[in-house]
Amino acid sequence: MDTGSQSVPSMSGRERVMAALRREPVDRTPVCSPTSVATVELMDLVDAPFPEANQQPELMARLAATAYTELGFDTIMPVFTIIQDSSALGCKIQWEQKDNWPTVKMREPIWETPDDIRIPPDFLTHRDTRCVLEAIKILKKEYGNEVAVIGKTMGPWSLAYHCMGVEPFLLMSLDDPGKTKLCLDRMKEATIQFGIAQVEAGADAITLPDHATGDLVSGEYYRRYLRDLHIEFAEKIRIPIILHICGKTMDRMEYIAQTGMAAFHFDSKNEPQESVDIMKNRISLVGNVNNPETLFSKGTEEVRQEVLKNLDAGVQMVGPECAIPLQTSIENLKEIPLTVRDWTREQVAG
Amino acid sequence: MANIADIRNEFLRDEIEEFLERPEEIERTVGVFAQARPAMQDIAAALIEGENDTVDRLTRAALDDGIEALEIMDDGLIAGMGVVGIKFRENFIFVPEVLACARAMKAGMVHIEPILSASGVEPLGKVIMGTVKGDLHDIGKNLCIMMLRGAGFVVIDLGVDTSADDFIDAIEEHEASLMGMSALLTTTMPNMGKTIEAFIDADLRDDVKIMVGGAPVTQEFADDMGADGYGKDALACVELAKNLLSAEVEVP
Repeated sequence: MDTGSQSVPSMSGRERVMAALRREPVDRTPVCSPTSVATVELMDLVDAPFPEANQQPELMARLAATAYTELGFDTIMPVFTIIQDSSALGCKIQWEQKDNWPTVKMREPIWETPDDIRIPPDFLTHRDTRCVLEAIKILKKEYGNEVAVIGKTMGPWSLAYHCMGVEPFLLMSLDDPGKTKLCLDRMKEATIQFGIAQVEAGADAITLPDHATGDLVSGEYYRRYLRDLHIEFAEKIRIPIILHICGKTMDRMEYIAQTGMAAFHFDSKNEPQESVDIMKNRISLVGNVNNPETLFSKGTEEVRQEVLKNLDAGVQMVGPECAIPLQTSIENLKEIPLTVRDWTREQVAG
Repeated sequence: MANIADIRNEFLRDEIEEFLERPEEIERTVGVFAQARPAMQDIAAALIEGENDTVDRLTRAALDDGIEALEIMDDGLIAGMGVVGIKFRENFIFVPEVLACARAMKAGMVHIEPILSASGVEPLGKVIMGTVKGDLHDIGKNLCIMMLRGAGFVVIDLGVDTSADDFIDAIEEHEASLMGMSALLTTTMPNMGKTIEAFIDADLRDDVKIMVGGAPVTQEFADDMGADGYGKDALACVELAKNLLSAEVEVP
């Protein structure tokens, strides 16, 4: 991809992101977070704390906008958690307080077999999905010409962890592949419904987390259970999709590149250069500044080095590897766009 | 020194040749299986394949044949789980396969545990395990528990969202001297340190060895918190538990 070229006229954040998602030339590498950049500091700054910022559209939009207004990112992503869809499907949620993430109570699964799986009729009007749709509308109206507004719909593999429990679902995947595929096929309707609803609300792109991570399952599992479903999502949700899978994913990147998705949001456990080499420009990469050891625990110089590593490797969009720790400093986050701008100036200067 | 040809079970021989790479682990594993009787080798092989019904049947048959419960546990179940742990560490197998092996282990232990318990056989050690306060993730902790049980430890699982008081109560109630804390979230990692502080405040810190682990946890973080050890994965957790317990015995 052509980054930092003098031949590309100045772009808005939105134009930059959309071009990078198509692997077209950009005026500089966009700074993106397809997951959350909410922090406690930002919550205090705009008076939009957790858990309310996950339940009330105005607060959700206000907190999400800080990615642009305070940090200088090229994207705004209002879905801070991975629980909104699961809550609307009927999972019990531990909402926690300002300084901790809400989490699905996975020890209390709501479904056991494929026959149990029902997408509730109020799935898209439930408080926690409606909140996302309303927040996207607010953000689109307010910032739609400036930055890319990204939505999020959870993939069926992640929904299965939440709705069926991690261990029962993973055991099922080994014991009965047919039943497992049936479960995924039924849950995919939630993924598609929520994704399309966000497109209609005005999202420019959609993050699709589907945690078939190398820390839990093999690359062969991804091919067997998810590649075709992800191809289907790319066909049915008609805006660029950013697939997000945490952890080690090198052994499934070849399959991910075949899905037709616009981008893959990858983790720092994968080397940027090696990842770029595997993807061969078939899909854009977003990432992969380390969260717990770098953004959360270290200083701006270490952040800068990781950003440079991604830029030098040709990663199309740079940002944190996943939802950032809530206690991450604003200074460290600001260092990402700062480094990208410095690097671009150096490239242009030649 | 034992030779791999001394192992009767062909599946076990193949597993060792295909998946074990470290010389000391090959030597140890070959040594264990070469001295194990064929029935124990068969139990280990079934466990490695995750065949819980077969492990159940073979364990009952072995007990019926008069083989000691302790021998079945050590030479069959624990020996098999040792290979599972290595394959998992080296990414030859993943969590679903480990869950199936743990289920097979449980199918055997259901018959073994009551006998060992009635005969007063001491376990390798007793460990209290839990995910810290505010964190509902438990797959990592559960894998550690499976491996600890697979290595012969008795584990008391406190589940998720475990407060410092719950850890302290469990240590006192079960008279355990070793505990492990897990966290998946960076927001809940500090609760490990707070739990350690609670042990200091309760004047119990010297009575218990504390291990920590979880995706965002590092050795540096563990050291800063004052933990006694950090395990980067489930197999490392077992080694750490063994080391901490042996250190406890050696140092009065």
